[in-house]
Amino acid sequence: MTATVTRPAPPRRSRGRRRRISRQTRELWLLMLPAMVPVLLFSVGPLLYGVGLAFTDARNTRNHETSFVGLENFAELLSAEDFWSSFKIGAIWAVSVTVLQFLAALGLALLLNERLWFRGLARVLAVVPWAMPPVVIGLMWKLVYHPDAGILNDLLGTDINWLADFSLALPAIIVVGVWTGMPQTTVVLLAGLQGIGKELYEAGEVDGAGRWRRFWNITLPQLRPVIVAITSLDFVWNINQFGLVYVLTQGGPGGQTRLPMLFAYEEAFRYRMAGYASMLGLTMAIVVLAVLGLYLWRQMRETK
Amino acid sequence: MRIKSALAAAAIVALAAACGSGGGGGDSSSSSGNEPVKLDFLSLAWQKESVAANKQIVDEWNKANPNIQVTYVQGSWDNVNDQLVTQFAGGTAPDVIHNDSPALAGFASDGYLLDLKDKLPAELKSDIPQAAWDTVTFDDGKGAQGVYGVPFLQESQVIIANKKLLDASGVRVPTPDQPWTWDEFSAAAKKMTKGGTYGVAWAMKSPVNKTLNLALNFGGTFFQTSGGKTTVKVGPEEREVLQRIHDQLYKDKSADPGALGQGTADPLPAFYDGKFAMLPAGVYLRQQVAEQAPEGFEWVTLPGPTGTSAQQGAVSQTLSISQDSEHVDEAMKFIAFFLNGANQAKLAKGDWLLPTSQKAADDPAMTTKENGWDVATASAKNLVVAPFLKVKGFDEWKTKVATPVLQQYFGNKITIDDAAAKLVEDGNEVLERYQR
Repeated sequence: MTATVTRPAPPRRSRGRRRRISRQTRELWLLMLPAMVPVLLFSVGPLLYGVGLAFTDARNTRNHETSFVGLENFAELLSAEDFWSSFKIGAIWAVSVTVLQFLAALGLALLLNERLWFRGLARVLAVVPWAMPPVVIGLMWKLVYHPDAGILNDLLGTDINWLADFSLALPAIIVVGVWTGMPQTTVVLLAGLQGIGKELYEAGEVDGAGRWRRFWNITLPQLRPVIVAITSLDFVWNINQFGLVYVLTQGGPGGQTRLPMLFAYEEAFRYRMAGYASMLGLTMAIVVLAVLGLYLWRQMRETK
Repeated sequence: MRIKSALAAAAIVALAAACGSGGGGGDSSSSSGNEPVKLDFLSLAWQKESVAANKQIVDEWNKANPNIQVTYVQGSWDNVNDQLVTQFAGGTAPDVIHNDSPALAGFASDGYLLDLKDKLPAELKSDIPQAAWDTVTFDDGKGAQGVYGVPFLQESQVIIANKKLLDASGVRVPTPDQPWTWDEFSAAAKKMTKGGTYGVAWAMKSPVNKTLNLALNFGGTFFQTSGGKTTVKVGPEEREVLQRIHDQLYKDKSADPGALGQGTADPLPAFYDGKFAMLPAGVYLRQQVAEQAPEGFEWVTLPGPTGTSAQQGAVSQTLSISQDSEHVDEAMKFIAFFLNGANQAKLAKGDWLLPTSQKAADDPAMTTKENGWDVATASAKNLVVAPFLKVKGFDEWKTKVATPVLQQYFGNKITIDDAAAKLVEDGNEVLERYQR
């Protein structure tokens, strides 16, 4: 809370320099204020507070004196086997879900872009998972995977406890992750496909390019900015996924699906190591920024 | 111009006000005048009969005490500890809190729970035996011992058996006075294994508490404290029960491997189908068997097996008072009423667990032969405080180390030596964090 109390500073400063600031700037600030207040209060404030916590030994307890410990949490994090296994699981999860999501969504988008019967209906159906909150999706898939009453075991005639099996749990939740994220990816890619000029394809056809050739040399390059945007967004969403996996497995069995965010949650709310958990969150944020930065930078350079 | 400035000023004032009230928390409820005192009671009852019993007792109290009104708040075992950590930190915790003794250790040493030592009414204190009070006596985080809850329901491990298969096998039927030894239990399981029917099923999705409580049969405590430092120990005593369960699964092949990954209640459909004869489980599972078993299915409750002793580790369900509660004395009065002999009998019946109150244990409903109540209630005398209760960091050891290791061991993926080494080495690393 202490961090947010200092927030009202920017507007006040602008008032102090009233004379030198043009009327336009002042109006700009005023108009931005309603949007900025919640952002500062509920996003920036807690964010700075969390960053601050990361450098302390804060615990969620009543009789503990919080003190500044510098990078001690970070050092502990680097030497913790738990963290690395969670990080590895998080990386496998985020990359495979993002890639599979993209491939499946691209296929679906191409299909929905063709002139099909009931195309409108199919497009609506494709968006349905989007309308469901992650917790509902989790509960639904939990039923699908149920060892005794689940549809999946029924269909396959197997007797597998999907979400409790050490080697199957992660693939099982990746499937759910892909399913969950497909709609928005599909919609964005479909919009991108519709933005590609017909004349390009006609020209390609005249030059004798086959279907595959047209896809590879026209569709993909044209879609590139859209693909870059949606895959990077998907990556961020996926690596920060929490609700879905919390409902499905709570990180089990034996930590096989403990994504970094679940790990941080457990540290903070189960073991009450608030400082350590904040450092974990901060580290993950930096990792995501670094990965994204690298990816976007390379993509930009290639387009140039 | 002026309007704009006024708007900006108003926005800043609103912002400041929002911050102020956010940080301050609720300090508005002073109990002056004739306003009735309001208490929040977080209950974790979930079985239908039990929720009904809880609500009924709260209603009775509210009618008899117009000056102390209790609000029933429904919680869930699944996330109660996460919820309480958040509520305690935010200063919005309920006054009276239902939980279990393993969770109290942490909250007590964190200073969130009130020490009830000097507040307990004599009648309540003498009605509950010392062994039960031991399950709620913890370090307050500064070296002193305090009582952080009132224990009221306890669970013991029994064996629920298919009567037809048990009789057909011709083994001696154990009684509370003459229970099976583990050897007899394993032999019986072997005898009942034939033609696709297994003798026993171990539901080991959450193996830790079950294994640790049974390990006391052979004096296995899993933790040792010397010089104020607690470490994990897996010696010959601790290995006994682990090895015997493992043998049933892989050597005798008398335990159903399909049940291994299941939660406690999950194997029940297969049990009704006669796919296995015996299900070791907590006494509360009798409720589901009694209610769901198909017509004509006969079952009996057998006492748990004994090793060098019949002792089992006990944890209790508890009622505690939040340190930040403003109506501590009223909350204590409510707890004393809620947990008197008659009410405990009601609650125990509703949850199919064992009451700590000696008056309640004498209730005829607690000793009837029907649904195995006699065997269940008799098993209460074997309960001793579980050693892991006093271990700081037990919860983390359990989720991070013990659960995966035991799952892997019972899944025959690692040997008992590997399991023991991991439990000790990784475990001590976890406990280290809590002993700084």
